Amino acid sequence: MLPEHDQDESNASATHHDGRDRGAPAVKDVRQVSTPTAGQSLTRARKGVAVGGSGPPPGKRKARRPGPSPLILLAFAAPSLILLLLINLYPLIYAGWQSLRDGSLISAGDFVGLENYKDVLTDPVFWQATRFTVIFTVVGVFGSWAVGLALALLLKTRIPFNTGFKVLLLLPWVVPVVVSATSWNWLVATPQSPMPILAEALGLGNVLFLANPLLAQITVCVFKVWISFPFMMTMMAAALASVDSNVYEAAKVDGASKWKTLKDITLPMISRSTYISWILMTIFCVNDFSTIFLLTGGGPVNATQSLVVLAYVTVFQNFQTGPGVAIAFLMTFVLVVISVVLYRRIRKVQIL
Amino acid sequence: MSTAAVSESADATASRAAPTTGKKEPETRGSWLRFLAMLVITAVVLVPIVAVVLLSLRPALGSTSTAPFTLENFLNVFSQTEVLTWLKNSMLVTVVTVVVSVAVAAPAGYVLSRGRSQLVSGFSLVLFVVQSLPIVTAVIPLFILFAQFGLVDTLTGIMIIYVGSTMSVAIWMMAAYYDSIPISLEEAAWMDGCTVFGSFLRIVLRNSLPGILSTAIFSFLLAWNDYLVALVFLRSSEKFVLPVGVQSFFQQNSTNWGLVMAVAVVMMLPPVILFATLNRYFSVGGIGGSLAGQ
Repeated sequence: MLPEHDQDESNASATHHDGRDRGAPAVKDVRQVSTPTAGQSLTRARKGVAVGGSGPPPGKRKARRPGPSPLILLAFAAPSLILLLLINLYPLIYAGWQSLRDGSLISAGDFVGLENYKDVLTDPVFWQATRFTVIFTVVGVFGSWAVGLALALLLKTRIPFNTGFKVLLLLPWVVPVVVSATSWNWLVATPQSPMPILAEALGLGNVLFLANPLLAQITVCVFKVWISFPFMMTMMAAALASVDSNVYEAAKVDGASKWKTLKDITLPMISRSTYISWILMTIFCVNDFSTIFLLTGGGPVNATQSLVVLAYVTVFQNFQTGPGVAIAFLMTFVLVVISVVLYRRIRKVQIL
Repeated sequence: MSTAAVSESADATASRAAPTTGKKEPETRGSWLRFLAMLVITAVVLVPIVAVVLLSLRPALGSTSTAPFTLENFLNVFSQTEVLTWLKNSMLVTVVTVVVSVAVAAPAGYVLSRGRSQLVSGFSLVLFVVQSLPIVTAVIPLFILFAQFGLVDTLTGIMIIYVGSTMSVAIWMMAAYYDSIPISLEEAAWMDGCTVFGSFLRIVLRNSLPGILSTAIFSFLLAWNDYLVALVFLRSSEKFVLPVGVQSFFQQNSTNWGLVMAVAVVMMLPPVILFATLNRYFSVGGIGGSLAGQ
């Protein structure tokens, strides 16, 4: 993703500008990045490279140079800090306070201590939702990862019309969820839909995909995998692209089988990207509202109700603000702990 | 990108060497087999999307037309429903969200990329945590807050929330892009007496167009596709954006698939066109790409 061309241009203009030889080291850096040695490629492969950028050039971080002053940096960050406080931090604190009261959307209500949490934690519906959230997340993460990795591996080989497939397969991620949910409803929801008719033709009898609790759960999970695999495919393709092909040549010379090459060479080398994509997909799945709500609304009989859907329904359909916020807050707490721990693990190499 | 190019050229070298070992024949056959497999997979994956388009082009319910494809559904949708209002609302909300989000994230990302202190690390951590929070937690208190300021059922209200929810990832994405721009360029400018703000505008931003585009596309998709926030905050149909519009229309006309799918096509088209023209700037992962890049 390095704009090498642009950089060379600005290097040239910088050199021209001050008449000294300042541009030279930067040019050298660029050249280093574009023709890495095998060792560098290995390091970069383990780190993974993706659309967001290929990361800082090696060694740049440690150098202590005079940079912008803290005051200027504060001014640069100020608008985002204000928005962060107003739209993200304030609601979080307010939600914590609200979960301790029996208020509604209009009145603040009285302080009830941990009553809401007690109610929520003793409610079987909450535990049912927790169970489905876990199932949905596990299937969503590993299902889409398996599909995405398989496709990324397939697309890495020489196939005619390769790029075309890559672009077309990203469409499920690009098309709005509202549109794809409508389409999936057409495919599976009514007795006149193509999928039930197909099932009947195959001799499976009258299959109602969204009316049977187990089938509805499976359908929602498959829908989630369908939406999410392009994300995994892209992450994995970017990681695979940065693995040096010399490694494979060496493995071939050593007579390693394809499966062994995948298990012992490819997977370890893309482990960092894999790990990051699992974490992010976990967060996406736990927080997913529209996929479930648009396809089943949480039904039948709460079978596909996840925690986010339950929180929404509790507040905006049953008007129980206290318990609803308590559910949301419990989720938030778990997610904050998870993401802080994971963040430290991901970035420890760099700054923390 | 550059590493990928290198490995591709290495692939090319390997394949050029292949004929000498006499292995060319089975390899090409294999590649056509894989092509067929990909063709089948892609076709199956795209069924739901193709179905939307095909159903929208079918003759309208009760129409006498015998043509296989007509635009009747679209004419009906535009003349009989508020879909144009929804489209206009969605455009407005999305454009404002993208512009504000990039304008806020561009300088903040610079802090994340160039700042070296415990505070900057803390800022980075807070942003990462914020992007992982369920939006439903923020929506409930914001609903109460916005009710006091008359922002419920307004487009301004949901724009504010969209900016807030795209911002953290947008900052990360901008920072990841700035990381690839050598700081020595700026140092040269500072030596010449250029201010930090000046070098940021003239050197960093000028070279960050791909990063800005990726960030803008990310914000665009989030604002265009969001359903939860719009569902909670928008009440009257003339304020609807497309996601709630499509869904409410679907619930009222669930048997008239041609009409429903025509509305769905209207909603699907802008992101698909954007994708078709700018797909090399699509950062599917958003924060994923930024994280993996480090």
